[in-house]
Amino acid sequence: MKQIFLSLLVFSGTLFILIASVGLIRFRDLYSRMHATTKASSFGLMLILIGVALFFNLWPVYLKSLLVIAFVYLTAPLASHAVAQSQKGREDDGEGNAARVKKNG
Amino acid sequence: MIYQTILYAAMANLILAMALTLVRLGRGPASGDRVVALDLVASISMGMILVYSLFTEEAVYLDIPVLIAMVSFIGTVAISAYLKHKK
Repeated sequence: MKQIFLSLLVFSGTLFILIASVGLIRFRDLYSRMHATTKASSFGLMLILIGVALFFNLWPVYLKSLLVIAFVYLTAPLASHAVAQSQKGREDDGEGNAARVKKNG
Repeated sequence: MIYQTILYAAMANLILAMALTLVRLGRGPASGDRVVALDLVASISMGMILVYSLFTEEAVYLDIPVLIAMVSFIGTVAISAYLKHKK
């Protein structure tokens, strides 16, 4: 019974990752794609890690899964912010409104 | 056994997600799309290794997602910094 509950937890985590992937393939803009992937995949990975840690029930597994959850939740917004900043820097050339100038002139 | 069946379905979910992400990685129009797809590939491979550790019931595989989490963050930030400063 416990095993079935934990496998359902892992299955829902993989479902969240699948939803993130569908969002990556269906959305039209880079910012929309980042919105789809960077949150849903973090949450799905957290569900999978909680399921695995409760399955093994050992203290190194709890420690490692807590480490991975903390690291993913700390670094996924940073990586997404770096990608968005590089895309924005490529779009408007550092000034902030050069795209509008290019559209006018 | 229903427990094994649910784990097989979870692995099928991850394989389908990996296929869709590789499609986006192959034909993404901008470089930023490819960077985002690579980040998602790292997450999906972490999930695959975790589900495989449930299949074999060995806790040794928990070391690999820790390393993938660190390396994928550094790789994503490095590629986006390179794309930012490229003229």
